[in-house]
Amino acid sequence: MPVASIQQVAREAFARRDTAGGALARDAELITRAARDMAVRFRRGGKLVVFGNGGAGTDAAHVAVEFMHPVIVGKPALPALALSNDAATVSAVGADEGMAEAFAHQVRHWAGRGDIAVGISRDDGGAAVRRGLEAARELGLLTVSLTGGRDTPPARTETRVDGPSAAHTGGDTGTGPNGKEDRADRGQNRHADHVIAVASADPAVVKEIHVTTYHLLWELVHVFLEQGEEALT
Amino acid sequence: MGAAEDPALGGGTRELYPFLYEASADPAPVWADATRSSEGKATEIVLLRRRMAEVCGDRVAVCAEQMAAAFAGGGRLFTFGNGGSSTDAQEVATAFLRPPGGRPLPALSLTTDVAVVTALSNDVGFDAVFARQLAALGRRGDIAFGLSTSGGSANVARAFEEAARRGMLTVGLAGGHGGMLTELSESGVLDHLFVVPSSSVHRIQEAQTTVYHVLWELTQHVLAGTPTGAHARPGDHADSRPGDHAEALPASGPP
Repeated sequence: MPVASIQQVAREAFARRDTAGGALARDAELITRAARDMAVRFRRGGKLVVFGNGGAGTDAAHVAVEFMHPVIVGKPALPALALSNDAATVSAVGADEGMAEAFAHQVRHWAGRGDIAVGISRDDGGAAVRRGLEAARELGLLTVSLTGGRDTPPARTETRVDGPSAAHTGGDTGTGPNGKEDRADRGQNRHADHVIAVASADPAVVKEIHVTTYHLLWELVHVFLEQGEEALT
Repeated sequence: MGAAEDPALGGGTRELYPFLYEASADPAPVWADATRSSEGKATEIVLLRRRMAEVCGDRVAVCAEQMAAAFAGGGRLFTFGNGGSSTDAQEVATAFLRPPGGRPLPALSLTTDVAVVTALSNDVGFDAVFARQLAALGRRGDIAFGLSTSGGSANVARAFEEAARRGMLTVGLAGGHGGMLTELSESGVLDHLFVVPSSSVHRIQEAQTTVYHVLWELTQHVLAGTPTGAHARPGDHADSRPGDHAEALPASGPP
């Protein structure tokens, strides 16, 4: 039998969120940059396709409804589609081509350059999300990856693949506007234009930080859209 | 968040980002202020989680013990919510049914089947969309788990009333002042209610994700103290069929 009382276990469980939550505050600049690039695409008529596997599929659905049905009255609805919601297509592609192709197939038939792809995974281990982002990059979409497991354990820095982001982030792919280190690059292969990785290996904690991350992305997209062209260049 | 259900949110972008409405055509300050605002919100949710731990940590533990007991007795979990909260309901269901570790437990989100949801909405009414499903699927000893950021969702409230009539354990998550769900808690329909003290729909949802993840973890913690296989299987209820208790129970449910 466990030694700790269940009340103690509860307190410890709540407290276990603190570190990753604090780390997100330090990622605010990454989020701002991703939102700015997303706003550019929306402004030009692009749409958002979003996907995640397992529990992250529920986050994809949340992102889609966030953009399609804004919580703040008066905000414009922006086009967004959660690819993981279509169980018929996901299971059909999964059965015939393998689960890894479930989102890539839909990206190829639903999206084009000018659109935005957001892939959500909690451990960076989802082949379907990785393939979906790869397919999106090949087509020229803006790619945003929400993932987890940053610095846990420290991974080797692999060859960085700079994508089309370099052009529209003003060439500051490796550093933010303040010259700070691009935290997303640290210890990870850069598999998307914007990689926002939660500093936790616990999938539940990663999900919680992801929710705040996409809430902020949504807010800032509208901030930039309201700013006019000068803020988007 | 999808459902514009929370009147507590009030203002719009002007309140969220007052700097936008100050005279400046230079994008650089906008960038810095947007980043600073996000830092503030990220810090706000950390503090809100701590507050939740203080305000309701012990009650979350009691709730988890009762949920574990329900599962051990063969109970199943039914989850529901609207808009963004429906995605949380789906998350809760998959967290229990297919956890990354621990014991898989029977759980179903009532927004999963679009045919059922649209049929009930079209033919009966949206307020009945979860209650009707619980009337068909639920039975004494099951768990009804509903989320609403405002506590004002009529279909969530109706579902809790139906669940209480059936003798189910009822667990609600809300925000702001808890709305209708606070009334249901005070009248005994809701066994457990956790209200996130915030006026932001976004921060409420974020704190709710922590509450249900902690509930899941504690439920697993309690069940880990019981031998695997000791709990009844969900299909083993020879003595309890759906609808058996519908009329026999008082309207107010368990205390």
